[in-house]
Amino acid sequence: MSLDTVAFALAAALMVGGALGVALTKDVMRLVVGLGAFLLGVAGMFLYYGHAFLATAQVFVYVGGVLVLMIFAIMVVHRANGRPVLEARHDIGAAAIGAGVSGMLFMTLRESVGGWLPQSGTPGGPIAVELLGRSIVVFELAGGLLLIALVAVLVIVGAGERR
Amino acid sequence: MSALVLCAAVFGLGLYVVLTRRELIAVLAGAELMLGAANVQLVSFASMSGVPGESAQALALMVLVVAAAEVGVGMAIIVTLSRRSARSRTDDLQEVNG
Repeated sequence: MSLDTVAFALAAALMVGGALGVALTKDVMRLVVGLGAFLLGVAGMFLYYGHAFLATAQVFVYVGGVLVLMIFAIMVVHRANGRPVLEARHDIGAAAIGAGVSGMLFMTLRESVGGWLPQSGTPGGPIAVELLGRSIVVFELAGGLLLIALVAVLVIVGAGERR
Repeated sequence: MSALVLCAAVFGLGLYVVLTRRELIAVLAGAELMLGAANVQLVSFASMSGVPGESAQALALMVLVVAAAEVGVGMAIIVTLSRRSARSRTDDLQEVNG
């Protein structure tokens, strides 16, 4: 078994394990830990494809930012409600829909891919040239979107406080 | 092919979470699962189809940014709802105030 296969298997195990944790747990903090494991697995998958910049951004933005934000929100909600945050309502119909969509995705896209293990990608060095060159408009639009989201958060929270 | 199987399975798990959970935070986590799976699939397809790595990274970065913005706004809505009515469940949200 080559090192590439091991790296892919590790990242895939993190992704699936984290996703299963999110789907099955009743404890809200375990849900966040499961989501963190999943996001680290996604970062590992980016590394596997040779996109180190993307993996770094994933860890900084998600594991360092979004998860902390979720924990703060859980602290506020849990304190306000004074009860466990999660309820389990597993449903065979929803499981069938989820499995059906997974199968549909696989059956639809399986002709588009080659072998079982993909080739490693290119190094992430030229990403700056791409972002500040050909993709500069999209890059600026993404910055604008983040600014709009920030203002929207302030407006939503401010409106909630005024009431 | 293995990446496709993995991402399809995780996407299905995310959809299952969105359909079965009642709490908004868990629903948001399910949406994050689906976004993450789609992003990995995007990078995987780009790698297999010969798209330049930097283009794939730029596109995946945009998805990351949109997902981060979505989480920020979602958390603001959850916190505001919990302050107003001590509720953060999807079943309790049956009307919108325009």
